[in-house]
Amino acid sequence: MITCLGDVFFPEVGVAMVRLLRGLGVELDFPEAQTCCGMPLFNSGYHHDAAEVAARTVKLFERAEHVVVPSGSCAWMVKAEYPGLLKHDPALRAAAESLARRTRELSQFIVEVLGITRIESSFAGKVTYHDSCHLLRGLGESSSPRVLLRGVPGVELVELPGADQCCGFGGSFSVRLPEVSSAILDKKLANVESTGARCLVACDAGCLMQMGGGLTRRGSRVKAVHLAQVLAGEGDA
Amino acid sequence: MTARADFLARIRREVAKAPGQFAAATAPRPAHPSAAADAIRRELAERWPQALDRFREEFERVAGVFHRVPTLAAVPAVIAAIARERGAGRVVTWDPGALGFDPAPALAREGLAVAAVPAGEEDEAARERHRAEAAAAQIGVTGADFVLAETGTLILRSGAGRPRSTSLLPDVHVAVFGRDRLLETLEQVGVMLEAIHADADQPTSGAMINFITGPSRTADIELTLTRGVHGPKEVHAIFVEAP
Amino acid sequence: MSDPALRTPFPERAGAALKDAFLQEALTIATTKFIDLRRESFAGFPQGEALRDRARAIKEATLQRLDAHLERLADNVERLGGVVHWATTADEAREIVLRLARERGVRMAVKSKSMATEEIDLNEALEHAGVTPVETDLGEYIIQLAHEKPSHIIAPAIHKTRGQVAELFSRELRGEFPADPEVLTAVARRALREKFLQADMGITGANFAVAETGTVVLVTNEGNGRMVTSLPRIHVALMGIEKVIPSMSDLVVFLAILARSATGQKLSSYTTLVRGPRRAGELEGPEELHLILLDNGRSRQIASTLREALYCLRCGACLNVCPVYRQIGGHAYGHTYPGPIGILLTAMLKGNESVRELAHASTLCGACKDVCPVRIDIPRMLIELREHLDREKIAPWSERVAFRAFRRLLMSETAFRASTRAGRLLQTPFVRGGRLRGLPLLFARWTRTRDLPPVASRTFRERWKDLR
Repeated sequence: MITCLGDVFFPEVGVAMVRLLRGLGVELDFPEAQTCCGMPLFNSGYHHDAAEVAARTVKLFERAEHVVVPSGSCAWMVKAEYPGLLKHDPALRAAAESLARRTRELSQFIVEVLGITRIESSFAGKVTYHDSCHLLRGLGESSSPRVLLRGVPGVELVELPGADQCCGFGGSFSVRLPEVSSAILDKKLANVESTGARCLVACDAGCLMQMGGGLTRRGSRVKAVHLAQVLAGEGDA
Repeated sequence: MTARADFLARIRREVAKAPGQFAAATAPRPAHPSAAADAIRRELAERWPQALDRFREEFERVAGVFHRVPTLAAVPAVIAAIARERGAGRVVTWDPGALGFDPAPALAREGLAVAAVPAGEEDEAARERHRAEAAAAQIGVTGADFVLAETGTLILRSGAGRPRSTSLLPDVHVAVFGRDRLLETLEQVGVMLEAIHADADQPTSGAMINFITGPSRTADIELTLTRGVHGPKEVHAIFVEAP
Repeated sequence: MSDPALRTPFPERAGAALKDAFLQEALTIATTKFIDLRRESFAGFPQGEALRDRARAIKEATLQRLDAHLERLADNVERLGGVVHWATTADEAREIVLRLARERGVRMAVKSKSMATEEIDLNEALEHAGVTPVETDLGEYIIQLAHEKPSHIIAPAIHKTRGQVAELFSRELRGEFPADPEVLTAVARRALREKFLQADMGITGANFAVAETGTVVLVTNEGNGRMVTSLPRIHVALMGIEKVIPSMSDLVVFLAILARSATGQKLSSYTTLVRGPRRAGELEGPEELHLILLDNGRSRQIASTLREALYCLRCGACLNVCPVYRQIGGHAYGHTYPGPIGILLTAMLKGNESVRELAHASTLCGACKDVCPVRIDIPRMLIELREHLDREKIAPWSERVAFRAFRRLLMSETAFRASTRAGRLLQTPFVRGGRLRGLPLLFARWTRTRDLPPVASRTFRERWKDLR
């Protein structure tokens, strides 16, 4: 599952993920009809619409043994919310529960399903990691990404002060309350720059759009990259 | 104002509509509260030294001042010392019957003016007199019904001869207690409270119970901690060793 | 009694807060401190997590028989000589207090901090009726003198500097006071001591009320809760119906986690259990105790998706960790209760229309749920609230149309691809140095402060052919 933001704005992340997983011996397919998990609809309260998108998505991934998503939010949406959204149709609900079980965020897939923690990537440099809210609190995951980053020989991982604090994206929040969103972002970026890292790593396109967009606007030397890119040895520091 | 029946009926209707979010239980209660309270007392009769150590640690952590004396007879000297250090001249105390001893004569010998609550006097004049005395005193001396080690807390029940103001109006509150008052956990306090309230006729039982954990405090101005906002600025606990 | 602040749209109120440099600094310092205190407190308290589960269960179990518990509470309060009043609305609650004041010749009432009394705008009503209400919690006293509203549930004057307080005291109390919190506290102690001793009536809220024993419980630090319930001849306690708990055994579960969640203390300085007016044999204490049970929209939530909001202990922990609250403070929310739980409580008390904008004042990050002592799932309820806004057509028509259109886009790969191509075309004039800047319309909200990556020249699905 590549995600809507991934497809349209960060195709390099999807490409990196494909190369990475193939390099680890995984056979991949991409159901081309996929568009989006529907989270923007769900979060803004358009549940009937979100349910339609969920039903469509569930059918698309029926035959996959595992579904890997380079995004904590989308993985959370599928795992935590799809069954509830489709509860009125027993067949769809069962399908949603099955999909929820088979879906994992990328770092969780590599560490838990593949059992791999060391990846020989050519990526080198000082990086710092931001905990995306839905990956951290929704899926309870804070260790797999760090384990993987530390497992890359050339990477020096520096802890980000306030790593677990929201970046201010919040989906439509970022344009409903742009000033507040930017003020929250400024705090996050001040912390990022205080680490001295050259790269800011995250597992969520939304966070990367927000933080990356802020970093380039302020002319920072820090680059925002996705975990997949670090592990695939791309977008070097 | 709504009639009670209508108010409750409305709530009943709403409750009936909702099956509840999940199966949930309230806290388990002791089947026989007095027996459970007795069992706790027996346990603490053994464990009081550990409880005392823990109490001291927690009490000092919340800026309490701890003292230890061998007998009740030694208590007035401690109070007098506290008074001297602060240039205090007036003390108000619980009724000697409630305190378990009468510190007034010894304190008077040290030059302190002592006002005790007249147990049995309850008219408006007595009330006003005592209020003025409590407001003018710098030190208030009480006992304690329970002393909770886990949090450094003194638990005081109001009642005849044990007015609320003694531990509230003066700048300094001094509580005198022995080993039989010690409890270790909040959970045990819960059992004690169950027992107190299960017994409908409790002598000297007033309408108020106060848990006092250190002096009065606030951080309302720029989150800066200051003590003695409305209640006492200092709390002292005097442990009397003799059982 | 609507707040004039509400005439300005929420985004503007938020914007004003963002530009207030002192507020920004005060918020950062205060919330960071509260966060650290809470974290330290729970770190050294291994039973904490289990206690939070139990506390949540007690609240839920109580709701499942709320009428029975309230009935038992009332019976027990009355048995001990207290009087119970039943107020369905804020109006009724105010009327009850005013009538009591009138009938008992009350000229001045001292108040211990009570969010419920703020909720019903009691002070204003008392003043109109010629009764002087005096706030005695230091923070509330400060904002009362300043004619402001509280900006945080437990630290109401968090937004004021010591200099501002000194100036305020100097002006209102006619003195010359330095900007020193110790001195200012002493000034307040002296000024308010007078009031405690002279007041005719003491007004409090209630953190809990124990049904089994008829006990009203107050959790405070300053001692004013004790003063107002011991010195004046009448005590009035105003309590939301959700504050009732069954027994003393339940009470200690909450006491174990409440102060830790609010300020990191094991217990607050004072926990006061009030059981009726003064007893025979007691020299001190009020002659009368009046307990006003307040509904004001609460019962309507029992069977709604906002039910869990009724578990709230008013500890303020969610405010301290909320990225939005930390940025804009309490006043910008414009209602009695700010922060994450405040949005839910406002919807509960004033209806969904009142949170048309506020329901979106959240990134749904979940930090609030992490720290709530009774584990209220605030993000879930905010999403439910937003669903109500759609269903009840409170959300703007244009927004609903846009999201419906977005859904149609997502339901068709062809439409999705087409819109991507359209985006690629339309963005051309705005691409600078590989980034989108200065976009028009809705997108300007983003690009005013942040760059946007452009729609990729080849999207992933377009590249898949080569990758396959």
